[in-house]
Amino acid sequence: MSQALPWLLALALLAALWAAPRYGLRDLWRESGQKRLRRRFEDALKHMLAWERRGKIATPESLAGALERSPRQVLALITRMESKGLVCSGSEGVRLTPEGERLALHVVRAHRLMERYLADEAGLPMSRLHQAAEKAEHELSPEGADRLDAHLGHPQRDPHGDPIPTSQGELPGVEGVTLTEWPVGRPARIVHIEDEPAVIFEQILAAGLKPGMTLWVVEKTPERLVVSGEEAEHRLALAVAANIQVAAAAPERLRASDAVRLSALPYGVRAEVLELDEECRGFSRRRLMDLGMTPGAVIEPALENTFGDPRAYRLRGTMIALRRQQAGQVWVRRLSGERKEAA
Amino acid sequence: MSATTEPLSAAESLLRRSDDLRRGLGEDVRDRIVSSLYGEAQRISQRAVHDEKARRWDFDQKIDRLVTSRLFGLPLMLLLLAAVFYLTILGANVPSQMLAEALFAVEDWGAGLFQTAGSPEWLTGLLWHGVYRGLAWVISVMLPPMAIFFPVFTILEDLGYLPRVAFNMDWLFRKAGAHGKQALTMAMGFGCNAAGVIATRVIDSPRERLIAILTNNFVPCNGRYPTLIMLAVIFVGAAFPPAWASVAAAATVVGVVMLGVGFTLLVSWGLTRTVLQGEASAFTLELPPYRRPSVLRILYTSLIDRTIFVLWRAILTAAPAGAVIWVLANVDAGGRSLAQHAIAFLDPLGHAIGLDGVVMLAYVIAIPANEIVVPTMMMCYLGAGMMTEITNYEDIRRLLVDQHGWTMLTAVNLMLFSLLHNPCATTILTIWKETRSGKWTALGTLLPLSMAFLVCFAVATLWRALAP
Repeated sequence: MSQALPWLLALALLAALWAAPRYGLRDLWRESGQKRLRRRFEDALKHMLAWERRGKIATPESLAGALERSPRQVLALITRMESKGLVCSGSEGVRLTPEGERLALHVVRAHRLMERYLADEAGLPMSRLHQAAEKAEHELSPEGADRLDAHLGHPQRDPHGDPIPTSQGELPGVEGVTLTEWPVGRPARIVHIEDEPAVIFEQILAAGLKPGMTLWVVEKTPERLVVSGEEAEHRLALAVAANIQVAAAAPERLRASDAVRLSALPYGVRAEVLELDEECRGFSRRRLMDLGMTPGAVIEPALENTFGDPRAYRLRGTMIALRRQQAGQVWVRRLSGERKEAA
Repeated sequence: MSATTEPLSAAESLLRRSDDLRRGLGEDVRDRIVSSLYGEAQRISQRAVHDEKARRWDFDQKIDRLVTSRLFGLPLMLLLLAAVFYLTILGANVPSQMLAEALFAVEDWGAGLFQTAGSPEWLTGLLWHGVYRGLAWVISVMLPPMAIFFPVFTILEDLGYLPRVAFNMDWLFRKAGAHGKQALTMAMGFGCNAAGVIATRVIDSPRERLIAILTNNFVPCNGRYPTLIMLAVIFVGAAFPPAWASVAAAATVVGVVMLGVGFTLLVSWGLTRTVLQGEASAFTLELPPYRRPSVLRILYTSLIDRTIFVLWRAILTAAPAGAVIWVLANVDAGGRSLAQHAIAFLDPLGHAIGLDGVVMLAYVIAIPANEIVVPTMMMCYLGAGMMTEITNYEDIRRLLVDQHGWTMLTAVNLMLFSLLHNPCATTILTIWKETRSGKWTALGTLLPLSMAFLVCFAVATLWRALAP
């Protein structure tokens, strides 16, 4: 009997570990199973929404490819989604029901809001946004998305330039055309960069291209495009350029020819603030504006330190230190010596 | 009446309308609001305020040019830091001793009172020689330096010098992926790491704030100076002629502090590339005009907000530690005290990292408050029944070097261990209160601890391999 006691105890412990409510292995497993299922549902809905936006209808094969599942698993998934009233499948493919579309739009909204948040507030690098948001989108409830939306100041586009659906489920289209179709020599503004496939996205980022940037197509051959950005020329393979969408740059958005970045302004030279760069967003933009970095303000680099970075600037009677990277997001125009402060 | 359904749909349609209008406004609406606010403010101020080409501004700028100059900026900062340390160490010496004498006199009186009242020996020992003595120790060692350091620090803060320090150091922190204001919280950590952790609230970005919290421990606080100063005097100072001994010792302490800053940057860099990835966030730092410090406010913020607050937490944690020390030293098991058992058990671990079992035990007991490390070590080496201090450095040298085989390696590694080891219980508690996360608290505790073991182990191994 005394021999069996330790074994009994161990057995009881194992049973408790398995069956304990909430934190027991069984319940944890169930919960993670439910989460996995939800994730798969939502990924499938997103895929179908994307295809319907392009005027196509998703098929079990296309779903299998997008979700990286076997056809049999996908069929089982579709059956389950049908029983929940999210999709209806016909001979030509699988369509979203209104309920399914509503849910799909919520996931897209959560994804893009998350990307905006991660880029603007958490400072995550562009190349890692998509993956991080791909995980986080499934955790966000519609109420949570509303709160995030309000916190971010109701942004209309994600960092790649994609429109963010409204809480009512309206999704404005992208107005751009692909860079490959853009005529040579006309200024264009990048409105969207496709973040999949990741390999191509990385190449675009490595070239320093970002939504909001203005560029010109300099040369076009059957193999590649040469485009001129703000500072450098880039050679892009056509497959890469096809992932960039552009629209006409509004004339007033073209910068004055004498505009320089604040970081390039020499020590002790007074200048007038023209505008903040498009790249400067979220918290960083709010902070600069609140400090009085508004168009027309007079600014002057006043202090340098041992390392030359950051520099301190005199602005509206205060002294404000900025890192070079941030000062680079402010466009200014030199004031000539005689000119008095603009009112 | 249709009052139950009508207002709801009205609210609904209102929300929809506001959504539509918001879309129509475009995304730069906030920019336009701020611009017009500033425009209006400027218009009003131009009418109401007459600017008499401020001479103060020029004077400020002259000082600014000096304290942030390429040549003198950093040396000036180091010099000020050294001066603050020197003032703290020098000024705290006498009040510390007076406080200790007074408080220990109370201990004797209390213990005597208990004895005449016929209380059992263990109760007198536990309450007076354990709990009370621990408290008295922490107060007398901690209060005077803090009461000097914090006001001096607050004066620098009030003058407006500290933002200039952040301005000077920001480049280094940017390279490490951290925030320039971390320089401020680090400087606060010289007084007390718990206060430093609270001070990280000035950093807006959560990522950079966490970095500042997790690395604050790498600058030594007031509680750790006694260890550093003792070692610097005995092992470094003694190697110099008497006239230079104190300068050499002070330089050693500043050197250790610089090493701590180096570790702060290194660990920040590491964190940025592992668990806290991300780009440096917005860094906008206002450099306010220099101001004459207001004495009353300084006394209030530094004494009430900082000193008393920190001291109170330390007292809460030091009282139980005092009891534990007394029990360890006075309860026998198999002819030896519990402390001796623990020392024997910890000795191999201590030896592996160039220290010994006594030091290890002292650090385990001193988790609540670092101030009691040295007294606990002395107690164990002397085999006394309560915490003991020897004030004469020559006596300490004889005890450590001649009787217990301390070498230069022991001294170097003890300095490193003291610099890097886990934060005290007060700081751990503060990290938890500030982050509300068990995960970050655990990391903030275990990361420094494992760093301390790794670095000390590496130094000990190298030293033993290279030494003849």
